[in-house]
Amino acid sequence: MKAFEYVSTASADIAVKALGGVDGAILAGGTDLLSRMKDYVTTPKRVVDFNPQSVVQKETSPGGVPTWTILAGTTLADLLASKALREELPALWQAASEVGTPQIKNMATIAGNLLQRPRCWYYRSGFGLLSVKDGKNLLREGDNRYASIFHTDGDALFVAPSSLAVPLIALGASATILGPKGERTVMVSSLYQIPKRDSDRELTIGADEVLTKITLPAPQGKNATYEARQKQSHDWPLVLASVSLRFDGASVSQASIVIGGVAPIPYRAVEAEKAMFGKPVTLETAEAVAANAINGVKPLSGNVYKVALTKTVVKRALLAAVGNRYWEEV
Amino acid sequence: MADLEQKTKQGASRRDFLRGSGFAAATAVITGPAIASLDEAKAAEPEFKIVSDTTTLKLKVNGVDRTCEIEPRCTLLDTLRNRLDVTGPKRVCDRASCGACTVILDGDLVYSCTTLAISCGGKKVETVESFDSGVNSVPHAFVQNDGLMCGYCTPGFVTACKVMLDHNPNPTIDEVRKGVDGNICRCGTYVGVLQAALAAAKTMKGA
Amino acid sequence: MPSVWPENPRLIGTRITRLDGLVKATGKAKYPSDMHPEGMLFGAMLYSPHAHAKIKSIDLAPAERMPGVKAVMIVGAIKPGSTLRFQGDDIAAVAAETEEQAWDAVLAIKVEYEVLPHVVTEAQAVAPGAASVFKGTGIVNNQKKARSQTNGDPEKALGAPGVVSIEANYMAPVITHVCLEPHGLTVRFVGEDKIEAWASTQAVGVTAGDLAGAFGIPTTNVTVHTEVMGGGFGSKFGADIWGITAAHLSKKAGGRPVKMFLDRAHEHLGAGNRPSAIAHVKLGASKDGKLVSLIAETSGTGGAGSGSNFPLPYVYAVPNSSRTHTDIFVNGGNARAMRAPGHPQGCIVMEAAMDDLADKLGIDPLEFRLKNLKERDMVEDGFSKPTVDRTPMYLDEVAMGADLIGWKAKWKPRGKNGDGPIRRGLGMALHQWGGGGPATNQVACTINPDGSVEMKSATQDIGTGARTIFAIIAAEVLGLNVTDITSNIGNSTFPPGQPSGGSTTTPAMSPPAFNAAILARDELFVKVAPGLNAKPEDLTLADGQVCVKGEPKLPWKDACRKLGQQSIQVTGKSSPGLASQHGGVGGCQFAEVSVDIETGVVRVKKIVAIQDTGLIIDKMTWETQVYGGVIGGLNYGLFEERVMDPTVGIMLNPDMELYKLAGASDIPEIVVRAYETPAMKARGVIGVGEPPTVSTAAAIGNAVSNAIGVRVPHWPMSPKNVLDALASKEGKA
Repeated sequence: MKAFEYVSTASADIAVKALGGVDGAILAGGTDLLSRMKDYVTTPKRVVDFNPQSVVQKETSPGGVPTWTILAGTTLADLLASKALREELPALWQAASEVGTPQIKNMATIAGNLLQRPRCWYYRSGFGLLSVKDGKNLLREGDNRYASIFHTDGDALFVAPSSLAVPLIALGASATILGPKGERTVMVSSLYQIPKRDSDRELTIGADEVLTKITLPAPQGKNATYEARQKQSHDWPLVLASVSLRFDGASVSQASIVIGGVAPIPYRAVEAEKAMFGKPVTLETAEAVAANAINGVKPLSGNVYKVALTKTVVKRALLAAVGNRYWEEV
Repeated sequence: MADLEQKTKQGASRRDFLRGSGFAAATAVITGPAIASLDEAKAAEPEFKIVSDTTTLKLKVNGVDRTCEIEPRCTLLDTLRNRLDVTGPKRVCDRASCGACTVILDGDLVYSCTTLAISCGGKKVETVESFDSGVNSVPHAFVQNDGLMCGYCTPGFVTACKVMLDHNPNPTIDEVRKGVDGNICRCGTYVGVLQAALAAAKTMKGA
Repeated sequence: MPSVWPENPRLIGTRITRLDGLVKATGKAKYPSDMHPEGMLFGAMLYSPHAHAKIKSIDLAPAERMPGVKAVMIVGAIKPGSTLRFQGDDIAAVAAETEEQAWDAVLAIKVEYEVLPHVVTEAQAVAPGAASVFKGTGIVNNQKKARSQTNGDPEKALGAPGVVSIEANYMAPVITHVCLEPHGLTVRFVGEDKIEAWASTQAVGVTAGDLAGAFGIPTTNVTVHTEVMGGGFGSKFGADIWGITAAHLSKKAGGRPVKMFLDRAHEHLGAGNRPSAIAHVKLGASKDGKLVSLIAETSGTGGAGSGSNFPLPYVYAVPNSSRTHTDIFVNGGNARAMRAPGHPQGCIVMEAAMDDLADKLGIDPLEFRLKNLKERDMVEDGFSKPTVDRTPMYLDEVAMGADLIGWKAKWKPRGKNGDGPIRRGLGMALHQWGGGGPATNQVACTINPDGSVEMKSATQDIGTGARTIFAIIAAEVLGLNVTDITSNIGNSTFPPGQPSGGSTTTPAMSPPAFNAAILARDELFVKVAPGLNAKPEDLTLADGQVCVKGEPKLPWKDACRKLGQQSIQVTGKSSPGLASQHGGVGGCQFAEVSVDIETGVVRVKKIVAIQDTGLIIDKMTWETQVYGGVIGGLNYGLFEERVMDPTVGIMLNPDMELYKLAGASDIPEIVVRAYETPAMKARGVIGVGEPPTVSTAAAIGNAVSNAIGVRVPHWPMSPKNVLDALASKEGKA
């Protein structure tokens, strides 16, 4: 790790000031940033150790929809300790429960999870986000078993790494960001973009901005996450999907279906969402809807398996939302 | 209606003060406006201090006040091992994957390899060296159940097991598995580790 | 008269906890990487970022000027013009006051590379026009013909009427050792010609010899300590270039100690690996299930120079066979022995083919295997019984294992395991190994006047429990408790001890330990007999007492006090009959898996491991070794794979995250049984570190195929490999 200067603060205002005009990086839980720094992939001049509160809160405003607020410093362990969150936001709870290890859950924060950089092994080996070398896309030509299957026409073939972004987008969450010009609020989905050039970032947040909190309306209906991965212990998801469904009687009146591990941004399966409209969630409808989720898929040489996996994961997330866990052994 | 959950931790840092120190690892319910008042407190904080060179770190390791010179980039693990000769925690993956470096920091199980020492000023660090509290303690259970071979991963496993049992004195075998899933053993001693954790739970209850 | 193990031992073969367990479990054991002698500097290595490159120039000066730097050097024979043959190849080294400073200095070393074309995968290496890893006799297109053997007329036998055969490809990737304690040592150059080192090694003696040789000093001037060490698995048999470099740095820094341990990536890249295995196999049998022919073309890579051979045919009787093996060279780190070198690969290939053929024949694969054991499978053995027939042992072991996994009740033919998304399957595999121990070692036994007893030898404990083995044996002979004995090992100046490889430590060290204890005991008898008005031959030891004709007469400590000022010090050597010299163990494993055919995720539910290893000294550490072997095999079966990038020639997963290893939630129920008949005990001591890791991955692969109805030809059994196999069955890939 290269030497750096260090600032520690619990204040977002000070964090923003400390980031101003320098090549700086925000340190949250540290498991991502410090690993990148050890590999010399990221070499900030200044590390701003931003350690805000760990708070999960649900508030009712008079006459309005109750709102969940999760402050940036909320650790995954604290998120998982909230019984109310587990009951009302199982999609988020489930995704958080599958992240990392007991140690990582104590260290990692929601902001750090959302803003972590890709795990793509070319990026982590120092070949840049797009891993293009001498005009050749290393990920396209090389080992792309974990890479994208959607949006693969461009050079960004890594997959967005945040497991929590997937349920948060499905649940319609917003992120509040503080910068030198003040505060702004964006949808969590807008935190991500597909980089076109190596100098682009996959994150839309500015280098001198900090994420301060996540808010989301209390969901009306059911939500769930399903994740597939190789190991049962600590591992990254191969594919995960979160769904948030509203019902009119037994039929779905609104569906959000978001898939992780398949694209450089959390992938919204719009056609599947439309296909779900007006139907009850059954084995048959879920199967058919999941087939819509892979419309437009363009896998790479080594990740064709992810197409079948994606279908399964979407199907299971839908069924999990209505309590049908058909795949579990009795 | 406000349903606010806030976990607070032990320690004396400013962050912990803001979080309401004294509620050790407890869940406190505070009302909505509390966030606003905390925000005001933050706004009143003075300009930031930049640490760019070596600095003196003070922390409590296994109940003893320790002091050493560190750079901002020194990890807690390297500080313990290289500067304080606390070598129970091991450096294996050095990337928050294998758990050999696991320590308890202000009551929380963490990877010391991806924790900056400078962020631990004034905090309490507990390492495997402090867990032998007699024949019913976790290290003895590892010996009795042969939950180790070469022993290099063992400090991390013992530490993870101890914290798991502190939080859950009656674990099922699957809960034990989850409790030590942040640790990797290459000799393949998991069977003994799982038996050790279950045996320790039993003897600790009996004690 | 040659000594014999006691017929009704009090301690040998029972469950005894390891003597050094608590010092390890409390974090108080000082591993070589934990040492911090006064004035110690931190070492760091600069290694090649390229798979293949020529060094145009090296400038150490910028590093020498860095703060805290005390010594910088180029390693080995590296000089401008040298060729680096793999990512991780060593270039230069630094010693500095702090570790952070050492790494800064490594970054400051200026090396100009001429990057050369590389080959890092087997396919890339054998492609027409591929870059050459190195030139050598018999190397064509990075390939060298290795073993080639033919028995009978395999082509004719395969084509004979009525022969049913399969033709298939199987592949297992390169995996790496991932020793948790990296390779390295802490070393101090003392004066002009002495070295003291704390090394993470499987062989203190070899390491001392390497260091002495590198500096042209007598081995007697070198002391290597290995009190404990963090895993080797076959990859830590000497000082290595890193240790020798550290000693040079210490010398350059005026004798200040230097600690040099590899970083994790360097471990994966340059500290050894298990070669890959690629096999094209034709296997045929008569309709009633008797093997007639095997034709196998195999290859594999052991890196930039090492071989990749593995045994084939394996275990079974194949009357006609031809086998040609080709070593493929790539720009990758060289292979080193890894837990049962060659056997896991051979087992995967043979046992996969056996299962595929049994399926085609429509025969229960268990019955098919039993039909094809050798008529007699004689292996060389200890001195008392020169040979032993493994075939009846296999028959018994398979019966035990089949019973424990519930084969009869649960096994269904391939593809007949239900219609739901989760399919259960059973698989099995047989294995064999050596495991004997050479008779060349010595153990010193000291009985002191205060009653303390020391066992001492220059062997080391790599996790198998060597200290405890010594103490059990001495306590058995001397009528004491295991905790009354002090075992001192891990010091190269002690009497010559066995390097810990090939499952040889326990069989090599138990006989001299036993004889040392007997010699010491007999000398004690001579000294104390007169005082008891008895003849030495009337004396025995039991329960901490010296007995005369079986009657307790004198407590141990009182007896020892009669030695006056003079300790008893004797050295025991090996003698015939106590241990097998060549081993020749066998075993079998059964796996039950569930496979989610919609996700390709495999979960191992249960593994049964049956193992014979002669006379067992400590049943507890024996079982732990078998569990460990099985879990190592489970990793090979489900998770491990070195992933290389063909374009830039680097390893993509030199970590412990994307290089996947099982955690606790991946561990199934594991049932371990010793095949431990009186006849086995009569074979003497045989090692068990390696055999139980051989057949696990093969059994898992067979269970997966049984579950899903199609062969997954590529190990590990990852979701990708499983889904790809399912898709190819459906004609989608």
